[in-house]
Amino acid sequence: MHHDNGIWVGAEDLMRDEAFAQSSQSEFSVENIDQTDGKWTASRRDFLKLMGFGLGAATIAASCEIPVKKAIPYVTKPDEIVPGVANYFASSFVDGGDYCAVLVKTREGRPIKIEGNTLSGVTNGGTSARAQASVLSLYDTRRIQHAGTVKDGQVEKQEWGVFDREVKAKLASGNIRVITNTIISPTAEKALGEFLAKYPGASVVSYDMVSAAALLEANQKCFGYRAFPHYKFDEASVICSFGADFLGTWGNPIQQAHDYAKGRKVAGKKHAKMSRHYQVEGYMSLTGSNADNRIQIRPSEMGAAITALYAEISGNGGGPKLNDKAAGAIKKLAKDLQAARGKSIVVSGSNNVAEQIIVNKINEMLGNLNNTIDFNGATFSRQGDERNVAKLIEEMNGGQVSTVIVWGANPAWELPNAGAFTDAFKKVATRISLNTNLDETTLLCTHAAPAHHYLESWGDAQAKAGRYSLIQPTIAPLFATRQAEQSLLTWADSANLNATSDQPYYEYLKANWQNSIGAGQTKYLTQDAFWEMSLHDGVYENAPHDITAVFDSAVAVDPGAVSKPSSSELEISFYETVNIGGGQYAHNPWLQEMPDPVTRTVWGNYLSIPLEWDGVNNINGWKGLVDGDEVQVEVNGQKFTCAVVRNFGQAPGTVSIALGGGRTAGGCGVGFGVNVNPALKQENGLTQYYAADVVVTPTGGKDKHFACVQHHHTMGVKAMGTEEGKEINVDEKSLGWKGFQGSLTDRSIIFQTNVKDLQSLEHKLEEFHHEAEHLNSQTLYPDNKDYFGTGMKWGMYVDLNSCIGCGACQVACVSENNVPVVGKKEVARHHEMTWLRIDRYFYGDFENPKVVYQPMMCQHCDNAPCENVCPVNATNHSMEGLNQMAYNRCIGTRYCANNCPYKVRRFNWLDYTTADVWPSNEERVFHVEGEDKPYYADNLVRMVLNPDVTVRTRGVIEKCSFCVQRIQEGKLTAKREGREIMDNDVRTACQTACPTGAIIFGNLNNPNSEVSKANKAAGALAYKVLEEINVRPGVQYTAKVHNANEELFS
Amino acid sequence: MSQPVAAVRHILIEGNKSYHNITEDLCSPTEKTPSREWIIAFSLSTVFLGLYIFAIVWTVWKGIGEWGANRSINWAWDITNFVWWIGIGHAGTLISAILLLFRQRWRTGVNRAAEAMTIFAVICAGQFPIFHMGRVWLAFFIMPFPNTRGPLWTNFNSPLLWDVFAISTYFSVSLLFWYTGLVPDLATVRDRAKGFRKKMYETFSFGWTGSAKHWQRWEALSLVLAGISTPLVLSVHTIVSFDFATSVVPGWHTTIFPPYFVAGAVFSGFAMVQTLMIITRKVLNLQEYITMNHIESMNKVIVLTGTIVGVAYLTELFISWYSGYIYEQFAFYNRVFGIYWWSYFGMMFCNVIAPQVFWSRKLRRNIWWTFFLSIIINIGMWFERFVIIATTLARDFLPSSWSYYRPTWVEISIFAGTMGLFFFCYLIFCRVAPVVAIAEVKSILKVAGDQYIGPNAKHGHGEKTHHEH
Repeated sequence: MHHDNGIWVGAEDLMRDEAFAQSSQSEFSVENIDQTDGKWTASRRDFLKLMGFGLGAATIAASCEIPVKKAIPYVTKPDEIVPGVANYFASSFVDGGDYCAVLVKTREGRPIKIEGNTLSGVTNGGTSARAQASVLSLYDTRRIQHAGTVKDGQVEKQEWGVFDREVKAKLASGNIRVITNTIISPTAEKALGEFLAKYPGASVVSYDMVSAAALLEANQKCFGYRAFPHYKFDEASVICSFGADFLGTWGNPIQQAHDYAKGRKVAGKKHAKMSRHYQVEGYMSLTGSNADNRIQIRPSEMGAAITALYAEISGNGGGPKLNDKAAGAIKKLAKDLQAARGKSIVVSGSNNVAEQIIVNKINEMLGNLNNTIDFNGATFSRQGDERNVAKLIEEMNGGQVSTVIVWGANPAWELPNAGAFTDAFKKVATRISLNTNLDETTLLCTHAAPAHHYLESWGDAQAKAGRYSLIQPTIAPLFATRQAEQSLLTWADSANLNATSDQPYYEYLKANWQNSIGAGQTKYLTQDAFWEMSLHDGVYENAPHDITAVFDSAVAVDPGAVSKPSSSELEISFYETVNIGGGQYAHNPWLQEMPDPVTRTVWGNYLSIPLEWDGVNNINGWKGLVDGDEVQVEVNGQKFTCAVVRNFGQAPGTVSIALGGGRTAGGCGVGFGVNVNPALKQENGLTQYYAADVVVTPTGGKDKHFACVQHHHTMGVKAMGTEEGKEINVDEKSLGWKGFQGSLTDRSIIFQTNVKDLQSLEHKLEEFHHEAEHLNSQTLYPDNKDYFGTGMKWGMYVDLNSCIGCGACQVACVSENNVPVVGKKEVARHHEMTWLRIDRYFYGDFENPKVVYQPMMCQHCDNAPCENVCPVNATNHSMEGLNQMAYNRCIGTRYCANNCPYKVRRFNWLDYTTADVWPSNEERVFHVEGEDKPYYADNLVRMVLNPDVTVRTRGVIEKCSFCVQRIQEGKLTAKREGREIMDNDVRTACQTACPTGAIIFGNLNNPNSEVSKANKAAGALAYKVLEEINVRPGVQYTAKVHNANEELFS
Repeated sequence: MSQPVAAVRHILIEGNKSYHNITEDLCSPTEKTPSREWIIAFSLSTVFLGLYIFAIVWTVWKGIGEWGANRSINWAWDITNFVWWIGIGHAGTLISAILLLFRQRWRTGVNRAAEAMTIFAVICAGQFPIFHMGRVWLAFFIMPFPNTRGPLWTNFNSPLLWDVFAISTYFSVSLLFWYTGLVPDLATVRDRAKGFRKKMYETFSFGWTGSAKHWQRWEALSLVLAGISTPLVLSVHTIVSFDFATSVVPGWHTTIFPPYFVAGAVFSGFAMVQTLMIITRKVLNLQEYITMNHIESMNKVIVLTGTIVGVAYLTELFISWYSGYIYEQFAFYNRVFGIYWWSYFGMMFCNVIAPQVFWSRKLRRNIWWTFFLSIIINIGMWFERFVIIATTLARDFLPSSWSYYRPTWVEISIFAGTMGLFFFCYLIFCRVAPVVAIAEVKSILKVAGDQYIGPNAKHGHGEKTHHEH
């Protein structure tokens, strides 16, 4: 078109050619297509062209699988669900006696994350690794999916109606036994009560795999309360534990850890005071690893140690003889305890009634009763008594039992005498399981009535006296399962259960709360408000406060009845771990892959053996064994074969092994570790978690996939040097290639001191900061300190003195950030993917070292060595001080991981999340035993993924992001509300999971943020790991301070 | 290239060759049917090349997890082999560029093969940085090119990016240099060839006629390329050493690395040239072109560079102690006495102690010793890189993350496979091009007329004199 402005296109345009003007008007030009007689014809060439194109296009269209995107909008959108916005529901994690008040995060109706409920007076917002991981077991592919009869290892489906009729017919005659673990739900107890009332021959047999029966009996006898008291660890200045793992598995560990850490915070206090913790034990427990002093004994000497303390305090001897070293230490311990009258705590994990009575007596004599030991807050986490089981076996063998209902318990595997139980169990005509998985016991049953997972259930819990909490469903049942309580009520034909309602047990529960638990409550005006608000808060607390316990003077203290020390060469301890417990959590891959805090091993249980120092330059494993060597252990007439792990702190002449390995049915834990339960012996019917007369014989074999995430453990352990004739630093002497190589210990990674030398450490740290600052200022490059002076600058503060190593943060991180499980074989190759790990270092005396735990995640360095080496800019720094990963940009050179001084970067060596399309490259990734598909390939498992976090593909690097998705969400919230961002807006997953408040996260540019305050308060005690290499980390640690009695062994 | 030849200098090729002899001797391997040795060697290389392809496909298909590297030791055999191969290449460039500028005319006997070796070694080296990537299908991300992704640019701070430039430059310049040298020789082969072969060589020799103008341009180009190559001899391995030197890892973060790496590269390169030349001259019957003098000269370079490397090793140890910095001290203590002590002692023995035998003239001129030591040095230099990479990463700052590394069959196959790739290329080269630079050798011939200084030097043609005698 010729334009008036003199611009023309081509000669025709210039000459205003008519035809051109016309053709330029039409939208499509047809000039180049042959046209004759007004008909379209195609030349041979055109035909070939079109055919070629057509065939090509058809081939491409036909052969490419076009992914089907299943993004179907709601037809009727539920009011409370906004896509992309998470909903939180208050609930409670309960498994046997394990309890945690939680908030369940759901996205688009799927529970994906567990958070602590800060309203709870029991857990104070803290969580445990088990609670964190519980969301994964909801999506366990091995859950039983419907009711039915059990035949050949399968559940043959029956409709619930048919099933109930069949079961009721069976229940109608004969005696019924219900086998349970501890039940802490008052409404479940009520339902059970109705069931028992309906069937007169019925009774309950309750036991706990890791039993506290002796403690419960002793407390019943001494004080009249069959419960753990509330131990006020925050108020105690001297704590003595005889083998009780009160920070990990014993009593009410979340609250105890919280209180314990409170009594040990020194950072920012003018006159630092902290509790002194003695642990008397043979193996290194999680609690023992946190102790200031460990008094090492052989496990059979526990009674002797308790009576020795009793003798010191009461002046009454009579107990068995304790080894001299420990006896001397106990004398000093007694002095410390006496000096802290009314402000000390003595606890014992032993399962011997006489010992527990002596411990109670000691507490009473020390004036602790009703001071630091309070029955107003009695804890019900253990209720069972294994002595009932022996009777049950007799009854079953005698044919007196016609029906057994197993509810939550797994006696065919858990019991020490599981073999005898199984034989007797098979004689019972009707065996009904309410368990969720086809575990060892359910496989032996005739009927399976699978219960819901707790996230699908209604329920309640009373973890401590008067402290109630509710369980509410966060998702519709995934399978045709049914609430266990509802099953019992249905079989009991309960009049209180409205079977025709939508959610019968909901109504039953609500009624029970309104009519009995909340009866007479004055907190809310109406019972409806009471229910609504309690459900909203998740907790209702009405703890008693007027209980004064009195030691019953009629109870005899008998030092002669305690366990007798053995003179055998070798003894063994069996213990419960914080991750897989006694084995009940073995089918949870997150917990299996969470390293044991002390041994740092995963996927199975290993025999811990002591280490020996040759006095010159070598640290050797006992008998010259090294990690992963297989041994045969012979104990109490049982033999089992397992791999060993060399463990500092394991007393000479003792070995130890965790319970919970060697599950044979029910899920992904099958085939990992070894079942040691048959090796447990019972004394007076009570299970003893140790044994003497142990024979350990190396088989010469090796565990080819020995999986331990930390091969090196020490940071300055000391022992006698033969040549020097004095105490030397073993670490520095044992450098080299042989045996257990040491390291130089003056590394700027861990700083620790005794609380009495706190000032000299502060001085040393000041010097260190000064030196580091000097070194770091020697740079050719302009200082970039002020880059982050405005807006937000994210930072973290980790108090090493509060961290107890429990691992809740690690599992929380895995859950929040879709960190894949890689399985044992991959961990053995050091391919674990955890973004947050808890490094564990031993220091101090070689035989009896202390431990420091160091949570280690990406330090978000402001001068990050990983960032400048990435050739493609896949990792870079945000203006808010975050070290970011752009997964899409990463090509996987791994240079960043090499250059990271903290070794926190993780590479996707294989297709761990099954993001690729080819099944052939998924052989090595984690599979549940016996399944073709990799673990993450199952759509059920994938429901647990956090939609806010990218699932990483093979070949890219990933690492801690400071939960950038939470930061983003917090920023948006603040922006929407038109205010400055606050601490509450952004909390990282590790921070919220921590029961002790060891991790604080926030905006460093805000002087009033928690993290800034904590940093400031910590003063010189705060340091950055490897401060002198000028990477400028965003994470501050505080030095580890202990309160050891240094004259204990002198 | 027409310097006067000093009468006192030794002759550089033996056997009183005439121009015609040279043409005959050096062209014949391309014209004869392959020998049995060649066929065996070629078949073997092909098998290894197949293994290489298999192992690479396996890696790309299944993932880097098929290797033994782990969360602490993210690089191991891959980058060890990369640095090793790159190092080997250096002798070729040194011989063709630096020795050319220094007028070391003995180089003409070995420069062609050494340059070929450079090119094939760089090809082998290049495999590793590419296939060690987790997502090799996105390898093009490392190229700075305008794009629609933002545009998203590469990170010019990263030594890995410098590597990309250094190695691609090195490869292209070496290839040009080598090929430029080949053009007159290809023309010579062309002139003797018939039929299809003639056509082929005609194409590859770019219509070379041998006119004075051609020679003039050719010499000018050779000099220019030598000038460009010379800094490359120093820069390429310097940049490779930056991969380590610019990091924060104790044991890598070392200012001595650039000269140390260059010396090591020349060292290993000459060892490889020796290995290849000793076989080539025997198999292709070129003893008179690649003489004992060549071998001795190269052995002198080896003992020199080996000693430099040894001094560097000791300097490292001294400086780490002198630094007073515990991480540095521990890194080197661990290098010597730690878990991989055997690789350190292997390195020390092979690279520092073993070459010292070449102070003896007798051993310098002994074929068997030379061959044996060249292999030892190749092994030693491989150990050196392994020591630097794996040992350092296995024990860095945080003891909690210390680990141990073992290769898997995949990594071993890839390394063995690159040997196959290398010899596959080299053996084809031996068959299609003169392995000794014909034109350049002719330029140093002392039989031509007045320059003939051999026995019975009178008048006329050297060859004739020889025959008369």
